[in-house]
Amino acid sequence: MKDHPDPSRRSFLAALPALTAGLAAPPARAAAAGAQPHWGLLVDARRCIGCQACTMACAIENALPEGQFRTSVATYAVATATGTAVAMVPRTCNHCDDPPCIPVCPVGATFKREDGVVLVDAEKCVGCAYCVQACPYDARFINHETGKADKCTFCSHRVDAGLLPACVETCVGGARVFGNLDDAGSEISRRLKAAQGRTAVLKPEAGSKPNVFYIGLDPELDGRVDAESAADMTWRPGRGTHGA
Amino acid sequence: MNTTVEILGFAREPAWLPWAVQYFFLVGISAAAFFLSLPGLVFARKAWLAASRQALFVALVCGLTAPVALLSDLHQPGRFLNFYLHPNLRSWMAWGSFFIPLYVGGLLLYAWVCLRPRLAALAAGEENRHVAAVYRALAYGGHDNRTAVRLAAVVTAIGAVLILLYTGMEVMLVRARPLWNSPLVPPLLVVTAFGGALGMTALFAAAARTRGVAPVLYRWIAVTQALVLALLALWYVGGVTGLSASAAEVLQAVAGSTGWVLTLAWLVATTAVTLWLATRPPQGLVLLALLALHGAWIFRWILFMGGQAIPKMGAAIQAYVLTPTPDGLVGIVGTAGLFLAIYILLTSFLRWDERATA
Repeated sequence: MKDHPDPSRRSFLAALPALTAGLAAPPARAAAAGAQPHWGLLVDARRCIGCQACTMACAIENALPEGQFRTSVATYAVATATGTAVAMVPRTCNHCDDPPCIPVCPVGATFKREDGVVLVDAEKCVGCAYCVQACPYDARFINHETGKADKCTFCSHRVDAGLLPACVETCVGGARVFGNLDDAGSEISRRLKAAQGRTAVLKPEAGSKPNVFYIGLDPELDGRVDAESAADMTWRPGRGTHGA
Repeated sequence: MNTTVEILGFAREPAWLPWAVQYFFLVGISAAAFFLSLPGLVFARKAWLAASRQALFVALVCGLTAPVALLSDLHQPGRFLNFYLHPNLRSWMAWGSFFIPLYVGGLLLYAWVCLRPRLAALAAGEENRHVAAVYRALAYGGHDNRTAVRLAAVVTAIGAVLILLYTGMEVMLVRARPLWNSPLVPPLLVVTAFGGALGMTALFAAAARTRGVAPVLYRWIAVTQALVLALLALWYVGGVTGLSASAAEVLQAVAGSTGWVLTLAWLVATTAVTLWLATRPPQGLVLLALLALHGAWIFRWILFMGGQAIPKMGAAIQAYVLTPTPDGLVGIVGTAGLFLAIYILLTSFLRWDERATA
C-alpha cells in the first residue's frame, strides 16, 4: 500500500511547498547561472482586485508592527464621460537605480546591493528619518518597534533562498511578477517586452529610475493624486490599535 | 474631464516630530543670537552693549537646549555615536553632526572669554567663600583679553554660519517635499531665526529689567519681519506664475484646503502685525518679543509639520494632530522646561545686567 501515492487532501497540502519552490524557479536559476541578477517587479494593475492579500502577506512575512505596511494597494474611483471605473495602485519600494534615500542617510545605513535591492543596515541606522523624507514614494517609515527606518526588501531573505517575495507569491490575480530584469528569458522581461510602450513607473519626474514597473496604470494616479478623498476610508496612523 | 475619488488610501505619519521643530527653532535662534552678541561684545558698539549681553545668554541657553531636542528625535539618544562612527559625507545631516559640536564648543569658549572679567568681579563681591572660589577658578585671572575674544568669535561665527547653512540645505534638498524644496527655504529659516533671536533677546532683557535695548531691538525686528514678508511674497509669486515648480506644486496640493488657507493667512497676518508694532515708538518689550518668537516658531511648525502633511502619493492631506505624548506636546513642554532650567541656572550664577561694569 505504501508504494502508492496517498490521494488524501493532507498529502496534497504537504506537496504544496514543493510547488511553491517551483514557482520560485527564476531566482534560483539566476543564482545557479552565477550571473548577477537585477531584480525588478512588474505590477499589472489590470489584474489587481484590491484584495490587500499582498499587504497582509508582507506584514506577516516581515513581522511588521500592527498598522504599518511595506506595501499596500490604494483604490480609486475614476469617473469619465463614459462611466466610472475602479482603479488599483499597488505601491511598494521601487528599489530605484538612483535612489534619493541613499545619499541623504547620514550614516550610510541605506545601501543598494549589487542585485539592485535597496536595504537598510539596522545596525547602523539611527532612526533620523531623513531617508523617509527623501523617498518620493512614501515607501519608507519609522518602525514603531525598532525606531529605525523600515521598507520593502523585495523579501531579500526569501529571494536569496530561491523563493519569491511574499506579496508576489500571495497575489491571487497574478498582478505581481518578480524576476531578473537582466535575463531576457525571465517572465518579467518577456512581459515587459510584450508591453513595450505601455509600461509606466511611479513619479517618472522624480528621476530616480524605479525598478517597479506598471502595466495599466492611469497616468493621473502615478504620484500625488488630485482627487477628492473619501477621508473615512483612508487608513491613517493612529487610527488603528498600534501605539503612538 | 475625469473626476477621481480616493476610496481607499494609506497615509504615512510624519517622520519628523515636534522635536524637529523645537531643534530648528532653538538652534537657529542660538546661532542668530550669537551674531547679535558681536556688536556689543566684540565691536564695542555702545548702543548694542546691553542687548548683546542678553543675546549671549540667549545663544547659550538655546544652544545648550537644542541638541537635546535633536537627540530625542533619534528614539534612542545613544545612537548619535553612529554619526561619528559611520559618517556619510554626501549627507548634509552628517556634516551637521560635526557642525553642532564645533558651534556649541566655540560658543562656550566665546562666552567664557567674554565673561572672565565679570566672573572675577562676581568673585570679588561674593560673600560665600566657596561660591567665590568657583567664580575665581572660572575667571582664571579675569583678564579681558580682546584678542582671545576675537579669535573665539571667529571660530564660533564659522560654526554658526555652518549651522545656519546645513539646517537650510538639509531641508531644501528634499525634492520629495515640495514645501521644503525651495531655494527660499534657507533664507527664510535664517531671517526667521534672526527674528526669533531678537525676540528672545527682548524677552531676556524684559526679564532682567534691562533698559535701553528697545530702540535697537525694535528696529531690527522690523527689518526681519519685512524680509520675511518679502520672501513669502516671492515664494507665492513663484508658485502662482509657475516660475517655481515646487511652490506651484504646493499651491496646487493645498488648493481648496480651508485649513491651509487659514494657516498661511495667520502666518502672514501675525508677521504683518509684528512689523507694524516694531515700527511704532518702542513701548515695552514683552508683546513684541512674544510676537517675534511666535513668528519664528510658527514658520517652522508650518514648514515641518505642514510640509509632511502634503501627501507624496495619493490624495488625502494628512494633518498632524498634536497629542499629549512624549513625541508631541510633552516633548515641547519638556524642551521648554529644560530651556527654563538652563536659563535660571545661568542667570542666577552669572548676574550680568546693565548695572554690571565688567
